[in-house]
Amino acid sequence: MALGAVAAVTAPLWVANPYHLHVLIMAGIFTILALSLNLLLGYTGQLSLGHAAFFGIGAYTSALLALRLEWSFWLALPAAALASGLAGWAIGRLALKLRGAYFVLVTISFAGVISLVSINWMDLTNGPLGLPGVPPPALGPWTLRTKNAYWYLVLAGAALTYLVCHRLVTSRIGRALVALRENEPLAESVGIDGTRYLVLAAVVSAALAGLAGSLYAHYTRFVSPEVFLFSYTVTMVIMVIAGGQGTLAGPVVGALLFTVLPEALREAVAWQWQMLAYGVVLVLFVFFLPRGIVPTLAAWRRR
Amino acid sequence: MLKRLVSTALVALVVLALLPAGGDAQAPGPIKIGVIQPLSGPVAASGNYVRMGAEIARDWINARGGVNGRRVELVIEDNKSDPKEAASAAEKLIVRDKVPAIMGAWGSSMTLAAMPKLEEYGVPMVVETSSAASVTKRGNPWVFRISPPSEMEALGLEQYVEKLGVKKADFLAVNTDWGRGSITAFGDMLRKKGVQVGAAEFMEQAATDMNAQLTKIKQTGGDTLFLTTAVEQITLVLKQGQEQRLARKIITTGGSSSPTQLIKQAGAAAEGSYHIVFFMPWFPEAMPDGRLARAFVDEWTKRGNPFEGLTEGFRGHDGVATIVEAVRLAGRDEPKAIQEALWKVSFTGVNGPIKFEKDGPAGKESGQSKPSIFIVQVRDGKVALPDFLKK
Amino acid sequence: MEQLLQHLVNGLVLGGTYALLGIGLTLIFGLMSVVNFAHGEFYTLGAYAAFAALAWAGLPFVAALLAAIAAGALLGALCERALLRPLRGHSIDTIMLVMIGVWIAMQNAELLAWGGVARSIPHPFPTAPLTLGPLNIAPLRLFVVLTAAALIGLAWLLIQKTRLGTAMRATFQDRDTAALMGVPIGRIHTITFAFGSALAAAAGALLGPVFLAYPSMGDLASLKAFSVVILGGLGNLAGATLGGLLLGVAEELGAGYVSSGYRDAVGFVAIILVLLFRPAGLFARAERIG
Repeated sequence: MALGAVAAVTAPLWVANPYHLHVLIMAGIFTILALSLNLLLGYTGQLSLGHAAFFGIGAYTSALLALRLEWSFWLALPAAALASGLAGWAIGRLALKLRGAYFVLVTISFAGVISLVSINWMDLTNGPLGLPGVPPPALGPWTLRTKNAYWYLVLAGAALTYLVCHRLVTSRIGRALVALRENEPLAESVGIDGTRYLVLAAVVSAALAGLAGSLYAHYTRFVSPEVFLFSYTVTMVIMVIAGGQGTLAGPVVGALLFTVLPEALREAVAWQWQMLAYGVVLVLFVFFLPRGIVPTLAAWRRR
Repeated sequence: MLKRLVSTALVALVVLALLPAGGDAQAPGPIKIGVIQPLSGPVAASGNYVRMGAEIARDWINARGGVNGRRVELVIEDNKSDPKEAASAAEKLIVRDKVPAIMGAWGSSMTLAAMPKLEEYGVPMVVETSSAASVTKRGNPWVFRISPPSEMEALGLEQYVEKLGVKKADFLAVNTDWGRGSITAFGDMLRKKGVQVGAAEFMEQAATDMNAQLTKIKQTGGDTLFLTTAVEQITLVLKQGQEQRLARKIITTGGSSSPTQLIKQAGAAAEGSYHIVFFMPWFPEAMPDGRLARAFVDEWTKRGNPFEGLTEGFRGHDGVATIVEAVRLAGRDEPKAIQEALWKVSFTGVNGPIKFEKDGPAGKESGQSKPSIFIVQVRDGKVALPDFLKK
Repeated sequence: MEQLLQHLVNGLVLGGTYALLGIGLTLIFGLMSVVNFAHGEFYTLGAYAAFAALAWAGLPFVAALLAAIAAGALLGALCERALLRPLRGHSIDTIMLVMIGVWIAMQNAELLAWGGVARSIPHPFPTAPLTLGPLNIAPLRLFVVLTAAALIGLAWLLIQKTRLGTAMRATFQDRDTAALMGVPIGRIHTITFAFGSALAAAAGALLGPVFLAYPSMGDLASLKAFSVVILGGLGNLAGATLGGLLLGVAEELGAGYVSSGYRDAVGFVAIILVLLFRPAGLFARAERIG
């Protein structure tokens, strides 16, 4: 744990190659996403298959505020989190009465609608052409253009996310969420208002995804409707479940691994076989580590 | 036991994957050219044709002894039809493979996503397919486009509007930057020529049933339908138009329509349709450089590549040939030198003359070549020149 | 008016194919609680199997359809035995993840095997449409809808009128009690998955000739199938059938009268509304199979 933190802070020193640093930055952004999805999936048992929508709303909010209203990144970032959080609240209120498979489908459908809006509402989003030229964040007289600077920014975002999640799941709220996941009637009988807690989790989860969206927009400096792609959500789900849902370290490990894996496959396998290999590795993972990497490792250590 | 073993192996894989790969020393060897194409995902077919064309260019150049005495090597990356992947691929090619120039990245959104990387590292990219106007308008001096933006394509058709007898036109396009850009460009051109413009309908990239749009278009009473999408969807629209008895003159735009594939797959439904193309492999002699075009078609067929891919594949050849010509003029394979040399490039590719003119904001112009644009018609199950073009 | 009628006909024909996609999934989802992301890949498999049978082996159309169904059932059974059975008892998310892996692997295996170029599947029907006053419908589409209806009817008979169907319904209602009563749950699961996959493959073989066969064709099919399942209610065959028809008509009218850019949004909005007001599906009396 401490070792990982030291490695992360000193990363620009030992990762000399900017391409590897780029992969790390993407891993950092996906760490935030995986942690945020884990809050819902791991701690409440509710699967959001529309998580890319919150990511995309954050990316678009931040990019539009920066481009159209020339807001500074430091204002656009919380605004993005706020907008996504609001969307999370609306979806939570609407859908968490239902839960389970129904929550899954409401979130998928919500992401589908939002994605179509981003494609068709030309005046606001510039449609499929996307929004190029999102400015990099500026800090006083400096702009954070370099990879090193951005790495620290993303690292700070990931650390903040981790702390928020840690704080939340170790608090009374977290215990209430787990109680609800394990036995809802029992939890409600001791006075836990299920829907209220779940909505709270949805809001925080969506807001964090929005934060990741903002960081992504100002890093790639280009936002297009592809941010809503279902494959982004699938990637997040893979990271959480393979890493180990319901643990805080699991999504971090999952995000790191499944950002690096496709890039490693680029090196190792001819392009025809890359995606096929990815699918097979995934199946093998579930098959042999069905509870996820972190819980399995923890179980080995206890033995 | 086996389970434990495999689990351990998987964990080991994790650790291995997380270890940074050792830096490999850059030995002076072949000249590397990066290629970014959609090799998997929904438009994989097109991306692979461009790759096949690029490989022909590479092999021809190497058979002639390479350039400046060095061999040419292509480093090919898949952008999975996803802009994020396109940006990652560009970064990987530039930083890890140290390519001094790139050809890519097919779709406009993929090209636009890769473009900031070109500026960041100062590496030129020859854009072979993308049609969005914004590609060369963004003030990115590392971008050199050999494909026509939609506006240029529309201007290319302008001279034929009367001859085609277009009086009232409708549009059906894929809901992407390309489809939307095309409707705007052709709509503007037609209005200027006094043609009435009726419905403008869209379809999602993955959509297969276009009956709703066709039923709607049928009501406008127009005489011509402009169709902008990939060849698969054109096939479906032609077939479904036939099912709906939609009697329209059909003109496809964008140059990706591959009339040969349409004849094969849509059959009689393709009869009479017009297609804007940037390469005419059916009569290569009619191309600006007939001998080169003929040789390209022969080589393509000899390799067993599908004939219907030629209208896409030539882009790969011309893109790589452009970069190699710039390397020859520069005399070395450094990104900055290649960028400067690209302005001096002037030769004839499979499509026709390639020569860059300045486009975009002053001081940071991108390069835009003016490609040749052709129109062909499907007649009697064959691709032919329209009557008004016959001598 | 003519336009409205044509839209309705289009919508019903399209909806019939959605229904066929949905019923296989509703069985798998309802009975096994498997969120089957690979469902669309069995649809793709069916289309390619039909292509191979028709274009290469030169079999008649009906034989090609049967070949596709057999291929779907076989691979479905294999998938259940090799992957799902050993993982039984794990959480629904874990099993979903394995199906995501299968989805990615199958789609890219198809891309490798067949290439990215779309294939046109030959069929023996005339291409000129049948015309009824102002309405047009292609003979092939009519055949597809009728066959789909027949397959849906057969599935219904199987579940309502056979011993196997009784065992399936018992498993759906209460897995543990059914097991205690001597229902071989393992075998029921294998059969259910094979049957659902076979129906998806049949849909692929029927719709392949209407559209085209290409490796990523299954993604849209999966999405539509999930929508249909929710509209109709889990495990509800009649619901899935009606849900499919409704979705087809709603999309068609949405594209015709609202905006073609928002065509797919119609389905999503319908799902959200249905879930909010009739969470057990549009046609549910209670959650049950059949």
